[in-house]
Amino acid sequence: MMIPMLLVISFIVYYGLQLTGIDPINFMVSPEMLSSNKENVEALRESLGLNDPLIVQYFRWLGNILHGDLGYSFDGSSIASVIAVRLPYTFELAGYSLLFSTIIGIGIGIISAVRQNGIIDYVGRVLAVLGQAVPQFLVGIILIQVFSIKLGWFPASNRVSPDATSALADAFFHLFLPVLTLTIGMVAVLMRYARNTMLDVLNSDYIKTARSKGIPEWKVYLKHGFRNAMKPVLVILVFRIPALIGGSVVIETVFSYPGIGLTMTNAIVSGDYPVVLVTTLIIAATMLICSFMVDVFNALLDPRVRLGE
Amino acid sequence: MGETTSIKDSNKSASSSLFKRNVRKFMNNKLAVLGLVIIVVITVACIIGMIVGVDYGTPVLTDMKQAPGNGHLFGTDTIGRDLFARVLVGGCYSILIGAFCAVMSSVIGAILGALAGYFGGKVDMILIRISEIFQAFPQLVLVMMLVAIVNKRGLGNLLFIFVFTGWMTTFRMVRNEFMSLKNETYVKVCEAFGMKKSNIMFKQILPNVMSPIIVSTTTNVAFFILQEAALSFIGLGVADSTPTWGNILNAAKSVSVVTNQWWIWVFPGLAISLFVLAINFFGDGLRDVLDAKQQ
Repeated sequence: MMIPMLLVISFIVYYGLQLTGIDPINFMVSPEMLSSNKENVEALRESLGLNDPLIVQYFRWLGNILHGDLGYSFDGSSIASVIAVRLPYTFELAGYSLLFSTIIGIGIGIISAVRQNGIIDYVGRVLAVLGQAVPQFLVGIILIQVFSIKLGWFPASNRVSPDATSALADAFFHLFLPVLTLTIGMVAVLMRYARNTMLDVLNSDYIKTARSKGIPEWKVYLKHGFRNAMKPVLVILVFRIPALIGGSVVIETVFSYPGIGLTMTNAIVSGDYPVVLVTTLIIAATMLICSFMVDVFNALLDPRVRLGE
Repeated sequence: MGETTSIKDSNKSASSSLFKRNVRKFMNNKLAVLGLVIIVVITVACIIGMIVGVDYGTPVLTDMKQAPGNGHLFGTDTIGRDLFARVLVGGCYSILIGAFCAVMSSVIGAILGALAGYFGGKVDMILIRISEIFQAFPQLVLVMMLVAIVNKRGLGNLLFIFVFTGWMTTFRMVRNEFMSLKNETYVKVCEAFGMKKSNIMFKQILPNVMSPIIVSTTTNVAFFILQEAALSFIGLGVADSTPTWGNILNAAKSVSVVTNQWWIWVFPGLAISLFVLAINFFGDGLRDVLDAKQQ
C-alpha cells in the first residue's frame, strides 16, 4: 500500500508544481540572453529535456530519484547533499520531542489519573488547556525571549555554532529550546488523553479483581493498568505524528533551525520547485513509514491485533 | 389524521423541552458560558471596529514602534500602523477564516461522508483512498504545498486551500456513523416506502449525526485560526495588506521586535490565545450537552 501511495503523491505534486508556470530556464539564463539568443535557449531547453511530454519528464525524474539522484535546486546546489545534512537535524528535533513528550505526557497523565483531583492533576489540566490554545510558534517566541534574550542561556537560532568545542554540548544547547517548544505542544494533548484512558482502565472490572486479590497498589497500576491504558495512547501517537512534523516545520522557522521544514518553507517562498518536490516526498514517506511502525507496535502490545486481520 | 398531528405536536413539545433542558445544562457549565461570552465579546468588538472603519493600513512613519498609550491603545507596529486597529480588523479576518473554513469543510465532509457511508462499496473505497492520500501529509505541509502550487497569496486562495485540505476528519466521522445507522429499522422502513435516497440520507439519517458535526465544527474554528496564524507566521499566509492575527504576529520573526517591542507580539498573541481558549471551553460544554455517548 505504501509504494503505490507514494507514487500517486509524487505524481500529483510533480504535476501540480508544473501548473505554477515557473520556467526553470529563467533561473539559468539572464533575461537579456533569453530575448536575444532564442535559438540557443531553445537548444538548451531541448538538451535538458524540458520539451518532452510531462509524463516522460516525470518518469525520468522518478528514475533519477530511484538511483539516488535527487537533482539540483534552482540555485545550483545538489539537493542530495543539502538533504543529507538537514534531514538528520529534523530527525533529531522531532525524535527528541516525540520521546520527551511521550514520557512526560504519559507520566503526568497517569499520575493525574491515579491521584485524581490532586495538585498535579489540577496543574496538568490547566497546562493542557493553555497548551492547546496558545499557538506553538508563540510559545517558541516567549521561550526565546526568556531563555535566550533575557537569561542568555541558550542560543536563539541555528543548529551548529562555528566555535563549538564539544559537538555534544553544542547539540544540547541548540536543541533545547526547539525541543522544549514542540514538547509543550505535544504534551498537552497526550496528557489529557493518557489521563482519560487510565481513568477508564482503573474503573474497569479486572482492576477491581486485581485489587481484591491483594496485589500491591503500585503493581496494579503498572502491570494491570498501565499496559492496558497504553494501547489507545499508542494509537493516538499515529495522529500526533502529523502534528509533530507539521509543528516542526513552524518551529524550525521560529528558531531558524536548518532542518527539512525550513528548507521546504524557504523553497516555497523562493519558488525553488525541485527542492519543494523532494522535501514533500521525504515528509510523505516519513509519515507512511511512521504509521506502519505504529501498526507493528500495536500488534506487539495487544495480542488481539494481528497484522492482516 | 387527527392522531398524526397530535403525535407531531407531542414531538414538537418534547423537542422544545429537550432544548430547554440542554440550555439549562449548558448554563450550568460555567467555563462554557464564559467561553461563549468571550467569543461574543471579541467577535462583536472586531466587527464594530471593522464597521466604524478604524484606520489599520496607513503607516505613520513618525509614530513608528510606539509603546502602548499616547493615543495608541496597543502601540504601533514597525511601520507605524495603529496596533489596536490592526488587531480588531485582523480579528475579523481571522474569525472569518476560522468560521468559514470550519463550516465549509464540515459541509463537504458531511456530504462525502454520507455518500460513502450510505452507498458503501466502490464509492466508499474511492473516497476513503482519497482521504488517505490527503491524510498522508501533515495538514500544514499539505497547505504549504498547495500554496506553492496556487502561487498567489490571497484570502480567497487561502480559504479554498483550507477547505480543500480540511474535510477529512468530518468525512471519516460521518461515514462511520452512516455505516452503522443505515442498518437501523427506520432507515429500512423509509427504503421500503420507496423514499428517495437523497431524502433518506440528508433528511432522515443526517439529523442523527448533527451533534458530533456541530461539536467538531466548533473546535475546527479554533483549529483553522491557529493554522492560519502558523501559516502567516512562516510567511505563506495572506498578504500583509489584509491583516489577520497571524499576519500581525509575523513581525515577531525579527529578534529585535521580540526583544524591544513586546506589544507588537503580545497583543495579537493574547487575542489568538484567548479566542481559541474560549472556543475550546465552549466546544467542551457543547459536547457535554449534545454528545449523548459521552455521558
